[in-house]
Amino acid sequence: MILEARNINKSYGSLEVLKNVTIECHKGKIYGLIGANGAGKTTLFRILLGLIKQDTGTIEIDSEGIKPIGGIVEKPALYGYLSAYGNLKVFAQIQRLKLTKELFYQSMNQVGLSPERSDAVKNYSLGMKQRLGLAIALLNNPDCIVLDEPFSGLDPMGISALHELIKKLSRENQITIIISSHIVHELADLCDNLYVLNDGEIIKSGSANSLLKENVTTYKIVGKNLEISEVLKSTEVVYLKNAVFVSLKNSNISEVLQKMIEEGVEVTSCIPQTDFKALFGRERV
Amino acid sequence: MISLIRSEIYKISKQSKTLYALAAILIIEGFVIMSAYYQGAGIIDLLLDNLKDSFEFRGNLLNGNLIIYLILNSLWFHVPLILMIIISGFLTSEYKDKTIETVMLQPVNKLDFILSKYIVSIVFTLLIVLILAVSTFFISYWIFGYGDLVVYLDGLNFFKSDDAFYRLINAFLSGSITMIFFSVVSLTLAVILKDATKTWIVAAIFLICSNLLLKMDFNNDIVNELFFSKLTDSWQYFFYYEIPYSTIYFKNLLLLGYSIVVMIIGILIFKRRDIQ
Repeated sequence: MILEARNINKSYGSLEVLKNVTIECHKGKIYGLIGANGAGKTTLFRILLGLIKQDTGTIEIDSEGIKPIGGIVEKPALYGYLSAYGNLKVFAQIQRLKLTKELFYQSMNQVGLSPERSDAVKNYSLGMKQRLGLAIALLNNPDCIVLDEPFSGLDPMGISALHELIKKLSRENQITIIISSHIVHELADLCDNLYVLNDGEIIKSGSANSLLKENVTTYKIVGKNLEISEVLKSTEVVYLKNAVFVSLKNSNISEVLQKMIEEGVEVTSCIPQTDFKALFGRERV
Repeated sequence: MISLIRSEIYKISKQSKTLYALAAILIIEGFVIMSAYYQGAGIIDLLLDNLKDSFEFRGNLLNGNLIIYLILNSLWFHVPLILMIIISGFLTSEYKDKTIETVMLQPVNKLDFILSKYIVSIVFTLLIVLILAVSTFFISYWIFGYGDLVVYLDGLNFFKSDDAFYRLINAFLSGSITMIFFSVVSLTLAVILKDATKTWIVAAIFLICSNLLLKMDFNNDIVNELFFSKLTDSWQYFFYYEIPYSTIYFKNLLLLGYSIVVMIIGILIFKRRDIQ
């Protein structure tokens, strides 16, 4: 185990932000922390990263490196008046790391940024800033990276590129990555394990696949001639133009799809819809 | 620690506000020189009008030494105000842009980080005073030439040109300790308040109150001698006929002590607080 946070509690006055939170992370795995806004994700990350102190509980990181853990909290905070080189130089220098030309090129290429760009970082897009923030977090090769809402504000291309980058870092560098998001589908195909945080408590945890599967009761089926399907009529269904939302309680989706095809319905896609109320355990989600 | 200091110097050198600070200092200097150039002779005549009936004045009293003395007096308010704004910004901008979080996400000790801020602030203060002094001496002597210095301090005091040069140099050196005190206070205020605007307002109020309290008699010898606001004028003591060296040393050492105490308070608060 590379990181273990046990029984973490944190309060601001009478407000309990984290209540007996325990998470365990293994080397090279990707962990997702999901929860509604205000669930305590950022506070937990700030504690893991040492920015704020927990009231009680312990954090153990099994690393002998200079920098056991790195990360980005909320948005990447960079010196806007400096170039990418200037930023990397400052953050390398403060941790007694000499930023050689080779290291600069390697850091930039690792996150898919052009090392040739020399203008101030304030001109960069949010996606580019995220990448530069990640390059800074990766300086001195940490064993664990914590990314708080890394997809927030990114366009679909940016999200896709960051997905690939995170997978690559985990696969090739064996870095443990912990990501938070309140948008579940972003984490569904990225994470090995998920923790669900609700009102400062971990209410569910387990493999991402099984946890999401347990909380899928509705499917969006897109296709032609959906209205002729008798099997759909026997389920709880909401018709849209060329699509339906089907809620299944006792039936298996593969059986429903099989019967629809036999009825002559042309199904083009079937997208599982996570039941957030069930997953987060609260109706307000 | 050295690497943190180097990175702070690198950041300061790349920030436009550093240039604004230098520009502000030079603009103040320029205004004093310009007004002295156009109105100085008239003011000197007005000041010495009564004395001219009893004494004979030889040479030009509107000379480089007088201009340097006039610019030296910006150490009362203008220079410390600019320094307090710029130096508090070294930290408040890190809070505003949240770069302090990115710094603290690296393997950096909080004590080393804040100590490096204080050290760089002190170095920056000394550099600004040095630039002010060098440029003032150079421009003033170049435009107005040398001459005897007349100063009004509990009455009119006259100093020979060489003696005036010595006193002015020492006044700048002594004044730099006062500037260090105000710079350290502003950085500590930034640690406490985090917000730039709040820090500027409180720093300006602190400076104004400090200057007001300097002139106030507390009716208590100990307070009158040891209170911080009574220590910020040591550089003026070089313009008494007999320079009270022991008083100047005492005041400067005590003010350095105050600076260290204020710095320790700032460090302790910064270390105890969460970064957010």
